[in-house]
Amino acid sequence: MMSTGMNKYAKYALVLLLSVSLILFTEQMKFIKSGEGHITFGTITGLAVLWLFSFIGVIISTLMKKVPVKFLQEFPVLGWVSIVSLICCLISDVFVDAIANVNFLSITTPILAFAGISVADRLADLRKTSWRVAIVAVFVFTGTYVGSALLSELGLYLSGK
Amino acid sequence: MKSKQSFIYLLAFVLIVIAVSEFIGIQAVKVGSVKISLLPLVFAILITMILGLSIFRKGFMKKIYSEANVAFSSKYLIFIMLPLMARYGADVAPRIEEILKVGWVFIIQEIGNLGTILLGLPIAILLGLRREAIGSTLGLGREGELAYISEKYTLDSDEGRGVLSLYIIGTLFGTLFFSIIAPIMHASGFSIEALAMASGVGSASMMTGSSSALIATAPDMEQTINSYAAASQLLTSFLGTYTMVFLAVPLQRFMYKLLVRGDK
Repeated sequence: MMSTGMNKYAKYALVLLLSVSLILFTEQMKFIKSGEGHITFGTITGLAVLWLFSFIGVIISTLMKKVPVKFLQEFPVLGWVSIVSLICCLISDVFVDAIANVNFLSITTPILAFAGISVADRLADLRKTSWRVAIVAVFVFTGTYVGSALLSELGLYLSGK
Repeated sequence: MKSKQSFIYLLAFVLIVIAVSEFIGIQAVKVGSVKISLLPLVFAILITMILGLSIFRKGFMKKIYSEANVAFSSKYLIFIMLPLMARYGADVAPRIEEILKVGWVFIIQEIGNLGTILLGLPIAILLGLRREAIGSTLGLGREGELAYISEKYTLDSDEGRGVLSLYIIGTLFGTLFFSIIAPIMHASGFSIEALAMASGVGSASMMTGSSSALIATAPDMEQTINSYAAASQLLTSFLGTYTMVFLAVPLQRFMYKLLVRGDK
């Protein structure tokens, strides 16, 4: 597991390749299920763009770990990738059109499959949590969602939308 | 070599899970008068979680859920998620003017995240929790709160146990919870736009749960939903720490004193 330098980036690149390949597979499953449509060159281009933005984000995030600014060091890689994607998509519609070829829901299924596997060992930890915190959790999750939704609703109303 | 072979099992298993989830497709469930659409992603996490339970982890399943494979999944989950984040630029960019025009709404709705304390803390105190309540209601219990609480109280304190419990529950059930609550909230009168903004709660998987459930409810608003959710999520990753330190912590301290006054 000792990976450094180029080796580390090669590993990240491969995992990202795995991720976009799974999206492609999911897309194909959707086409088979619905009985219409097929993978096009556009889909592949879209996935290539997603791969590229992700990889650039990873590189930036790794480089920022060396910058002596705490905020930049701790800014999540997920955030860097969204910023890279946003900037590139603002610069050129080519990227927007390419990415639009990839079905949003096809991206989500593989992620959640891995998410389920990744928590397999945590299921046992549930015993360590109390039922009280479980009830509190429902209200905590609801609280942030309702709180934000109420303020958004109010704000949108005030701005006449 | 052994781990390579077991990785192939993992890959094959994931492909099967994806295929099964996609063939189940979108299923509508009626809860009272609210229609909740369960998406393939919900089935994917349910299948992989249920099969990961220790009673199923025997024989061949043990090879799929091997130590190395589970470790790989949790270590690289964030990388597997990156293409999803890379997609959001394409949703936000075409609507950037519209979003900037209501930019202040995005900023004030961040304050709504204090709802974890406003709603959660009184319930926690009522249930008899004390210092554990501090850890479990400060926020959604993601990495930010985990880091703050462990720095201030260590994880081996009541506060620490509170935030850890919330972290575990959120990791296991967060996506499911938000994909169910989103359509319920819409049925109770909230607009899709407001709920999309609220979806950027700070956890990528919870946001996915909420925003994809909204898309299933209003398919023709996919771009609006994704762009609002992504913009608000990005803002949360910029402002989250500051909201916590400068607003959530003082508010929680004030409310805690008020609520437990005289019974310490």
